[in-house]
Amino acid sequence: MTTTQNPATATVEAMRPPPRFAFITRSTATLWANWKSRLGLIILACFIFVAILAPLLAPYGASQDGFERNADASPEHWFGTTAAGEDVLSQLIYGSQISVSVGFIAGVLSTIVAIVIGLSWGYIRGFGADVINFIVNLFLVIPGLPLMIVIAAYLQNGGLVMIVAVIVITGWAWGARVLRAQTQTLRSRDFVTAARFSGEPAWRIVFKEILPNMTSIIAGGFFGAATSAILAEAGLEFLGLGDSSIVSWGTILYWAQNSNALLTGQWILLFAPGLCIALLALSLTLINFGVDAISNPRLREGKSR
Amino acid sequence: MNPILEVKDLSVVYESTGFAALQAVDHVSFVLEAGEFVGLVGESGSGKSTLGFAITRLQKPPARINGGQIYFRGEDIRELDVETLRQQRQGGFAMVLQSGMNALNPVRTIRNHFIDIFRAHGHVEKSRWDARQIELIEKVGLSKEVLARFPGELSGGMRQRVSIALALSLEPQLMVFDEPTTALDVLVQQAIMDTIKSLQKSEGFTAVLISHDLGVVLESTQRVLVMHEGRIVEDASSLDILANPQDEYTRMLLSHYADPRAEVVELPGFTDRASRKAHGTLKASDGGTAVTSAAREGRSTDSAIVVDHVSMLYPPPRRGEQAITAVDDVSFTLEPGESLALVGASGSGKSTIAKLITGIEKPTAGTVRFGNLDVARLGRGQIRGLHRNVQMIFQDPYSALNPLHTVEYTLTRPVVNFGGLRGPAARKRVLELLETVGLSPVEQFAAKLPHQLSGGQRQRVVIARALASNPQVLIADEPVSMLDVSLRAGVLSLLEDVREQWGMSMLYITHDLLSARLVTENIMVLNGGRVVERGNTAQVLQHPENEYTIRLLDAVPNPARVRGAAV
Repeated sequence: MTTTQNPATATVEAMRPPPRFAFITRSTATLWANWKSRLGLIILACFIFVAILAPLLAPYGASQDGFERNADASPEHWFGTTAAGEDVLSQLIYGSQISVSVGFIAGVLSTIVAIVIGLSWGYIRGFGADVINFIVNLFLVIPGLPLMIVIAAYLQNGGLVMIVAVIVITGWAWGARVLRAQTQTLRSRDFVTAARFSGEPAWRIVFKEILPNMTSIIAGGFFGAATSAILAEAGLEFLGLGDSSIVSWGTILYWAQNSNALLTGQWILLFAPGLCIALLALSLTLINFGVDAISNPRLREGKSR
Repeated sequence: MNPILEVKDLSVVYESTGFAALQAVDHVSFVLEAGEFVGLVGESGSGKSTLGFAITRLQKPPARINGGQIYFRGEDIRELDVETLRQQRQGGFAMVLQSGMNALNPVRTIRNHFIDIFRAHGHVEKSRWDARQIELIEKVGLSKEVLARFPGELSGGMRQRVSIALALSLEPQLMVFDEPTTALDVLVQQAIMDTIKSLQKSEGFTAVLISHDLGVVLESTQRVLVMHEGRIVEDASSLDILANPQDEYTRMLLSHYADPRAEVVELPGFTDRASRKAHGTLKASDGGTAVTSAAREGRSTDSAIVVDHVSMLYPPPRRGEQAITAVDDVSFTLEPGESLALVGASGSGKSTIAKLITGIEKPTAGTVRFGNLDVARLGRGQIRGLHRNVQMIFQDPYSALNPLHTVEYTLTRPVVNFGGLRGPAARKRVLELLETVGLSPVEQFAAKLPHQLSGGQRQRVVIARALASNPQVLIADEPVSMLDVSLRAGVLSLLEDVREQWGMSMLYITHDLLSARLVTENIMVLNGGRVVERGNTAQVLQHPENEYTIRLLDAVPNPARVRGAAV
């Protein structure tokens, strides 16, 4: 309480509007304080940096061909060239754009679906809740990958939009269930009853009273969803179910597999995109460790005893 | 003189990343003699539990001892390594926690809990296990059949007894009880305290009783340490504290106790209704029509709440068992402007009645009427209309406010929803409400978040929110039971003032007879869902007729009674 020594500043402090951004600042500080999530943030920042500055960083265009085919690493082509004569390093750099943006967009969309369905499911009671329960359970028991493949094969060559749609359709159910459980514990709290006594309509109670109290769970859910979206995107591309003309880490793997890169000794064609996918997924998972510390302050303090 | 525990200059600090360090215990020194029963009293945040955890080496990060020594039988326990500390728990020191009744493993029987301890310490021969378990469980006043039960099958009081027996099984020389009865009902609380007292005498262990309730502590202990802001401000025998308190803070704590049975009940700045009426200082509702009608402007005519032969059955917890009767054929009328206390131990159905009146639950039989509305038959929109006139004050000010919303937002919602005000008009009304509940400077309080307020201030915000719709009826569900003793009188007198000024009626639900005496005119005593006694509050409490009412009155902790007994 050092601020109280100066009454003028204390008053100014108290007069200030509610610290809307204080939560964000504090969360970031907590994330940064945890070495795991700090490492994750650094890795993620690198990928985002590379994705944004791809045209400047890449030595050649993404699908610029005409170089020597199946070349090994050389000063001109650090990671060699593909069977079609494209520069692998440039492809990797441009590919990060697809992975990062698909991960982000699909993560956001499936989190939104999970929030809307999970919260209303947790709040309402009776027949409506049973109906949602049935639908969510349906999505939970259907095995994800086969469903993805079936949908992707059905919506042939829809490009990125199709891939994002497939990931969102198959990826929201688990998040919805987690959010529903949390909503149910929060809805019995006094402040929710009090909001009802204040004449608040149901949607306002759900989205203005309950939702803000789950921010860290939602953030955790988002990072989880983004991770699986990145993996699913790469997986679908690798199986050739996406648009194989775009350059992404998944398609690099797809073409490398098609041209038997391993047999020609070009392990780097499989290894480099694989490592990138793993690193990006790892960074998000590491950040989630820090998100856990925000929602559970006990994890924030050092080891017990 | 045989000191068992010596604490010298002990300091404990809480260090969390991103927050300023908090010195919870600040250079505390005291000595416990073997066989003593000592109370450690303080209000929330005084550091009493932190101290209790520190002297049993149970403190966890972010708490850290940053100075001083703790000698237990001449050995500094801060130096002990984990294994010595574990062995030390047998025949050394033990702790019974506030939530001790939740500390039992729900999937193991009570017998297994004992066996775990015997096995870990090996201080009882295997052939004597059964005999020892029975001996222990009978010591705390339970029958040996309890051993075969699971924790979930026992009541809160029984579970707390089991955790005392478990602590006893280690034959400790020092037992620390951290608020062992706080979560329990008044009547159960008294029974458990009796058990602890007699055990302490028969087993001869040294006991420390940590509590926020000076009344409970003075009734059972020989010596009392009073803690305030991390320091021990007074250390004297219980009788001395009562008769001749030295410290300002102790005097202030003592002044908040009174006997609800007395002719005139007085708390600092507050006298009971009956004597105020006698002295003509009560703003009688019939005399102050000018004030009340102003407050009632724009409000429909006042209506009474009529509860007519209402019963409430909850479905049985397990198949084959009987349904639970929460409320059994209760009838009463809450007249406009009346203040009625609904008193009973937990499980007596008093909170269920509040739910029935506010339309949260529907009665299985009988009707609840508000004016010409049948509460049980209201649709969603009509319930909202009911809440315009019937508002609720919650028990726990810590969970009744959304931690993420400012005071202004919380208060603006009912103003917008019920008053139809927008923008600057709504803000003006919010500031008026804050003024009414005594939170000034209002501009500053409007901008605060709940965690920046004290418990008493939060409860004032909760009251302000209830007043926002200008209701006719206030349902106050134990509004002061979660507050520190020194804050209660302030909140109660606020409730009383606004009620009289605004001409509202109030249903005051409580187990605390003292506060009921202060703010209500009439009283109903509930036991097992039935009304066992009703009448004028002062009358009933001074001359109780029902046996249950008498038991409730006897269970009220009262330091003055100790003095009476000792003299």
